[in-house]
Amino acid sequence: MSSNSIKIFAGSSHVELTKLVAKQIGIDLSKVVVLKYSNQETSVTIGESVRDEDVFIIQSGCGEINDNLMELLIMINACKTASARRITAVIPCFPYARQDKKDKSRAPISAKLVANMITVAGANHVITIDLHASQIQGFFNVPVDNLFCEPSMLKYIKTHVPEWKNGVIVSPDAGGAKRATSIADHLNLDFALIHKERKKANEVSRMVLVGDVNRKVAIVVDDMADTCGTLALAAKTLKERGATKVYAIVAHGILSGKAIDVINGSDLEKLVVTNSIPHEDKKAICSKLDTIDISPTLAEAIRRTHNGESVSFLFSHAPE
Amino acid sequence: MRRAKVFSGSSHPELADFICEKLGIPPAPVTLKKFSNQETSVEIGCSVRNEDVYIIQSGSNNINDHLMELLIMISACKGSSASRITAVMPYFPYSKQSKKKKYRGAITAKMVANLLSVAGVDHIITMDLHASQMQGFFNKPVDNLYAEPSIAKWIQDSVPEYNNGVVVSKNAGGAKRVTSLADRLKIDFALIHTECTRGSHQSVGNQVTEISTLSSTSSSNHDNVFHTSNMTTNLTTSIVDGKLDDVNDDDVPLSKESIDEETSSTITLVGDVAGKVVFIVDDMVDKSGSFIAAAEHLMKKCNAKRVYVIATHGILSGDSIKEIERCKSIHQLVITNTFPIPHEKRCQSTKIVIIDVSATLAEAIRRTHNGESISYLFYTAL
Repeated sequence: MSSNSIKIFAGSSHVELTKLVAKQIGIDLSKVVVLKYSNQETSVTIGESVRDEDVFIIQSGCGEINDNLMELLIMINACKTASARRITAVIPCFPYARQDKKDKSRAPISAKLVANMITVAGANHVITIDLHASQIQGFFNVPVDNLFCEPSMLKYIKTHVPEWKNGVIVSPDAGGAKRATSIADHLNLDFALIHKERKKANEVSRMVLVGDVNRKVAIVVDDMADTCGTLALAAKTLKERGATKVYAIVAHGILSGKAIDVINGSDLEKLVVTNSIPHEDKKAICSKLDTIDISPTLAEAIRRTHNGESVSFLFSHAPE
Repeated sequence: MRRAKVFSGSSHPELADFICEKLGIPPAPVTLKKFSNQETSVEIGCSVRNEDVYIIQSGSNNINDHLMELLIMISACKGSSASRITAVMPYFPYSKQSKKKKYRGAITAKMVANLLSVAGVDHIITMDLHASQMQGFFNKPVDNLYAEPSIAKWIQDSVPEYNNGVVVSKNAGGAKRVTSLADRLKIDFALIHTECTRGSHQSVGNQVTEISTLSSTSSSNHDNVFHTSNMTTNLTTSIVDGKLDDVNDDDVPLSKESIDEETSSTITLVGDVAGKVVFIVDDMVDKSGSFIAAAEHLMKKCNAKRVYVIATHGILSGDSIKEIERCKSIHQLVITNTFPIPHEKRCQSTKIVIIDVSATLAEAIRRTHNGESISYLFYTAL
């Protein structure tokens, strides 16, 4: 008889998060073996029956990003051909999300390509967190649930930033203004905006701060921290303009390249990221790094998706 | 242009005529009518076999009929062996619905993209998409042109003191657009933020009421309350005002939040406009409420010198033109001719300035036909 129970598979990109999610739901991870042939081809072996089961594959877009993407596609396809009833790709940090528009002539829309690949591989549903642009939901022909870190961030600010009531929410670029104003509204705080003026290519750009941060705690909010150059420069600008402390709260901490050195040498008091991307090794060498655990949100979204319940509750609430 | 045909849909024949004039060819003959049961009927009046076909159809107030007409025209040309069909849609219909709203929204823009693909379109030319990510909704190439060069040129030619100006976005979502124009003109920018403070923080479904209740609350305006924390600096001023009917352009007009009974909104200006000429820039002007509220705030509370409202797409539904005409704080309303505005509506206002972008669209068509790069048009006004 069909059991249609939840099966959670961990991609190799972020096993810790998958374990946390599985623990929250109260089940064990399903067995899967991912290997690489000597010629670097990825090989996936699903270790238990998924026939007529509700499969969730958790794979974040980080690290060896192309290998991880390929692995996700092969896992989806393996489950598809093994007659899974439904396959949900849980992608906490969507790979290639920044390449979502033709912002320059002849630029590829790689996010659309990735969406097509995931659909073609056989995913029936996608769960992700804080897409770089919510329009990416429209790149898919299957339903996409875009969860938000915002409730978790708000909770963190209220519990971990002692002076938050004297704070200003700052967006480090014009594109993130909407995210910043939304958080400012929820906390009833003012907000400010930093704009990088681009004069010419390869020229040091000037940073313009619009708004007032004097004698206040600046909380910089963004969806991604990659090389952290912008964040460090923003922190410097904010300090120069009289901010007492500068916190940065970011959904996806990619922290590639020299990011850790940049943060250690910056004026940032703390950089807070979610665990959508593994960064335990980086935490060891950077005391300024702090984590928001978003596994409860993911676990609850998986539980609700499986049971056919509404997930909109999670857009405004952070489950324990 | 050899082996090319330009057809005009019925939404915006004036723009199509301008474009054809610039291309130096007459519009190709097509008969567009409606059967008595309201079905749209299309008859292509000339052979399109192996031709490069361009169909010009903008969004309009009759949006669904004109979309259907476009789909039928595409399908008719496809069925008549056209070699390539390009839909020229200066204003992309349903482009505001480009993402899931918080709860269970449809991504209608994506559906429109699918409809166009299914009808048989090979290429899309459009202008100032509400979100440029929409190019990814298609499996076909999309050329998103910008009105910004034409707008910047207009400002430089027509506003003598533009050097001492500020570009303002009336919501956080438009900040990027505004900074880009500010960079091009080498002037400052500022941002208006409208904060909705609600009586009850949970938006409850049964509080949904008619939009008229909102305008009634606006009469009970709170006195202008200045946040004491902001008094230390003139950079940030706030007033409480309940007047905004479309607080956030991205919200569906009748969403629960925007007509919550106890909604009052605080307008905050981030930046400095005192004594300066202000350009409020957005991609479209639909309802006038938020623009008027922003202009009033800038003129009366922030001592701006003059306020121009500038947008690419002048949808101006309802009585928007009259309301803008009545508003003393708005000096001029500047839009482009991507969206058709009937003659009688244009006559309602002396403040309206319409920038002609047909040259940009015509050049994009010419270059597409000849297989030349169109990136030149992203930076240059024609």
